[in-house]
Amino acid sequence: MAAFFPTSFSRSISGSGRRFISLGGLAAAVVLLAAMPLLYVVYSSLQLSVDQWFQLWSSRLPELLWNTLSLAVLVAIGCVCLGVSSAWWIARREFPGRRLATWLMILPLTVPTYVFAHIYTTLLEEDGWLGQLWITLFGNDNSPPDLYNIWGVTLILSLAGFSYVFLLARTALSQPIRSLEEAAQIQGASAFEVFWRINLPLLRPAIAAGLAVVVLHVLSDFGAVSMLQYQTFTLAIFQQMEGRYDHQAAAGLSLILVMLSLTFLVLERFFRSRQRYHSARHSRHMLVRKATRVETCLIWFWLGLITLFAFGLPLAWMLSWSWQAWSQDLINAQFWGYAGNSLMVAVIAASIAVVVAFPVAFYNARKRTAGSQALLQFSSVGFVLPGPVIALGILSFLLAQLPFLYGGLGALLIAVVIRFLPLAVQSQDAAMAQLTPSLEQAGRSLGAGPFENLRRVILPMIRGGMATAWVLVFIDTLKELPATLILRPTGFDTLPVRIWIEASEEMLELAAPAALMLVIGTLPVLWIMMHGHTAKTDQQ
Amino acid sequence: MKRLRLIPLLWLVASFVTLFSFFSWATPADDSLIIYSGRSDKFVKPVIEQFTRETGIKVILHTGKSTALLNKLRIEGGKTEADLFLSNDAGNLQRGSDWGLFRNIKADLLKPIDQAYRAEDNSWVGLSARARVLVVNTKGPMANKLTSVFDLADPALKGKLGITNSTNGSYIAGVTVYMLAVGKQKTLQWLQGMKDNVDGKVFNKHSKIVKAVARGKLQAGLVNHYYIYRHLDKHPNAPIAIVMPDQAKDGMGVAWNVAGIAITKNTRKAALAEKLVAFLISETGQKQFAEVNREYPTRIGVNASADIPAANSYRVADVPMSALGKERDATLDLIEQVGMP
Repeated sequence: MAAFFPTSFSRSISGSGRRFISLGGLAAAVVLLAAMPLLYVVYSSLQLSVDQWFQLWSSRLPELLWNTLSLAVLVAIGCVCLGVSSAWWIARREFPGRRLATWLMILPLTVPTYVFAHIYTTLLEEDGWLGQLWITLFGNDNSPPDLYNIWGVTLILSLAGFSYVFLLARTALSQPIRSLEEAAQIQGASAFEVFWRINLPLLRPAIAAGLAVVVLHVLSDFGAVSMLQYQTFTLAIFQQMEGRYDHQAAAGLSLILVMLSLTFLVLERFFRSRQRYHSARHSRHMLVRKATRVETCLIWFWLGLITLFAFGLPLAWMLSWSWQAWSQDLINAQFWGYAGNSLMVAVIAASIAVVVAFPVAFYNARKRTAGSQALLQFSSVGFVLPGPVIALGILSFLLAQLPFLYGGLGALLIAVVIRFLPLAVQSQDAAMAQLTPSLEQAGRSLGAGPFENLRRVILPMIRGGMATAWVLVFIDTLKELPATLILRPTGFDTLPVRIWIEASEEMLELAAPAALMLVIGTLPVLWIMMHGHTAKTDQQ
Repeated sequence: MKRLRLIPLLWLVASFVTLFSFFSWATPADDSLIIYSGRSDKFVKPVIEQFTRETGIKVILHTGKSTALLNKLRIEGGKTEADLFLSNDAGNLQRGSDWGLFRNIKADLLKPIDQAYRAEDNSWVGLSARARVLVVNTKGPMANKLTSVFDLADPALKGKLGITNSTNGSYIAGVTVYMLAVGKQKTLQWLQGMKDNVDGKVFNKHSKIVKAVARGKLQAGLVNHYYIYRHLDKHPNAPIAIVMPDQAKDGMGVAWNVAGIAITKNTRKAALAEKLVAFLISETGQKQFAEVNREYPTRIGVNASADIPAANSYRVADVPMSALGKERDATLDLIEQVGMP
C-alpha cells in the first residue's frame, strides 16, 4: 500500500511524484516552523557552561523533576477517575438528561486553569463560600484546607483537564466490541471483571490519548502553578527569566522539560500504536441499556458532584461577581473590546492551525513511515515548551530575522499556532486513521482525480476531526495567557490578559466578567463539536 | 473534469487572513505615547487621563508585570514601540538603566525629586514610595512586642507569621535593604528564623496576609503599608495596626521602595515623553499619582495622604534606591541559600 499512495497521488499531476514530495516538503516546513522555539532553546542552552549545568543539576533539578512528575501522575489519576467514570455512565446507560450530562462534562474546558485556581483560593478563604461552609461544619478552630500544595494543584488541574479524558473515553465506549463482552459474560465473568479485563484494555488507547493531552497540559501549565506557587519546571523557567533575567538557565531547564515531554510522547505513541490492532474491526451494536431508577440516582449524584465542583461553583462565582461589576457599570466599551480581541485571535489562530496541520497529518496518513511519524511527533514540540519560552523564542527570532513582522498580531498568532498545533495535528491524525487505501482506490477507479478525491472522499471523512481540531485550538487560544502577555501588540488586551491583570490586583469584579465571557464565547464552538459528533454517531 | 483545488484554496485564504492580520493592527499615531506599565491600570489611569486632558497627548498603556516588560524592552532593543517604562519597583528601573535601555532625563527637570529616589545619572525617577512595615493583630499576644523586622524571626511567632513567597518584588527589595543595612550574616539568620516560623506556608498576596492577621489566624505580617489601609477601608474596626519597624536609636529604619518611570533610549518622542515625566513629578501629578494608592510622593514638599504616617515622622533606611537593582542577584542568592519558599 505504501507503493500505491505516492503514484496514485502524483500521476495525474505530472507523473513524476513531485506532488507527493511537495506534500512532504510542506509537512517538513510546518514542522520546522513549529520547532523554531526549540531551536532557540537549544541555542541558548548551548551557551551554558558545564559549571552552570552542574549547578542547575545539583540545585534545582531533583526537586523540580520530582514535583513535576508527581504532579503529572496525580493529575493523570484524577482525570482518569473523573473522566472514565463519567464517560462510562453516559456512553452505556440511557437516562433522563443524558445529553445535558454530556455537556456538563465538557463545560469545564471553558474555564482556564488560572481562573480555577483563583476562584478556588478565593472560595476557600475564611470569608469565601467554601471557607464559611467549612467553618460551619468543622468549627472555627479548623482552617479551611489550603491549595498551595501538590494536592491543591492536583485538584485544580484535574477539574480543569478531566474533560479531555472524558471526550476520548466516551467515543471509545460508544463503539464497544459487544461480542467480546458477551463472550466474557458467557464465561461467567462478573460485571466488574468484564470492565476490568475487556473494556479497560480496549479503552487503553483512548485513555492514553486523553492522558497525553492532560499530561502535556500539566507539564506546560503556567496559570495554576503560578497562582498556587507550586514549583514545577514551567514555573521555575518563568522565575529564572523574570526574577533573574537569566534566559540561558531558563533555556537549560526548558530543554530538560522538552526531553521529559518527548519521552512521554513516545511512550504514549507506543500505547496508542496498538490501538489499531485492538479496535480495527468492531460490530455496530451499541450497548446502551436503560438505566434503572437506582442507577439514575447514582449517576446523577456522581455527575452532579463532578459538575458542582468543575463547573457549577466557578460559574456561580463568576455570575455573582459579574453581577456586581454590572451594577457598578464596570462593563463598558473597553470590556467588549477585550472580548473582540480574544475572539479575533482565537478564530484566526484556530483556522491557521487547522490548515497548517493538514499536510503533517495527511503526509503521515499516507506514508506511515518512521520519518512521517517523526515529523508528526516533532510538531508536538509547541505543546511541551512553556508558553513564556515559546514567546521569547519567537520574539528573538522575529526581531533577528523578520523584523517587519514584529509589532502586529503576527508574532502572537505564530506563537499560539505553534503552541496549539499539536492539538490540530493529533485530532486530524486520529481522524485519518480510518482512511483506508481501498476508499481512495474506489474513488480513483471511478475517475476522480487527486483533488476531487481529496474534496469528495477524504475531507468529508475527516471533517469531524478537522472540526474537533479547530475547536480545541480555538478553546486553548481563547484561554492562552503567557505567550499573549509577552507578544500581544502594544495596548492589545485580551480577556485572559485582563483577568490576569485584575486578579493580580485582586479586582475580582473585573476578573469575573472576563472569565464569564470566556465561558460564553466557548459555548457555540463546543456546540459545533458536539453536534458534529452526534451527527457522526447517528450516521453509524 | 473540473478540479476544485480545495487545499490550495484553503492555503490561499489562510495566508490572506494571516497577512491581513499581521498588518491590520494599526500602528499608533505619531502624537501618542506608549508606556510599558508594570503598575495596576487602576492606579495609573486617573493621572494619565488628567495628563491627556491638559496636554492633548494621548497615552497607550501596555500593562503587564514590570519584570516581563523589562525583558521585552531589552529583547526588542531598537525596535521597541515603548516610549516610557513605568515600574513598580526601583530594582527593575536600575537594572534597565544598567543595560542601557533608558535615556537620561534633563537634570533640572528632576531637581524637585530627592536624589535618593532617582538614578544617579537621572536615567529614571521615582514617583511614589512605599514603606515595608509590620502589620500586627492588636488583640493578640504580640501586639506590643514587635518593634523590628528582625523580631519576625522570634520563635514565639511560629505558625503566626505571614510573609509573601520569595518571588514577590517588594519582598526581595526589602531583603536587599536589610542585607545592605545589617550585613549578610544577620539577614541570613533572620531569613532562616522566618522560614522556621512560616513552616512552608507563604502567601501570594499581601492582602491575604493582612486579612489573616485581622482574623487573628496570624499575629503579624510583613507587608507594604498601603495594604493595611486598604483593608481598613473595608473593615474600619479590624483589630490591626501598623508598626513602623526599626525606629530605635541604633535601628536601621524602615525600608522604602519606589515606583518610577524611565524614558526609553530608542523613543522617537523624547520631548513628549519628557512632558509626561514633568507632569508626573509636578505637584498635581505627584499628589494624584501617590494619593490613589496612599503612597508617599517623592517630590519634596508634597504631602502624603493624611491616613498614613507622615514621611518625616519616622526614619527611613539609608539605602539608595539604585542599590535595589544592583544588589538584586545577591539578594536572590541569599534567599535561595536559605531555601525560602
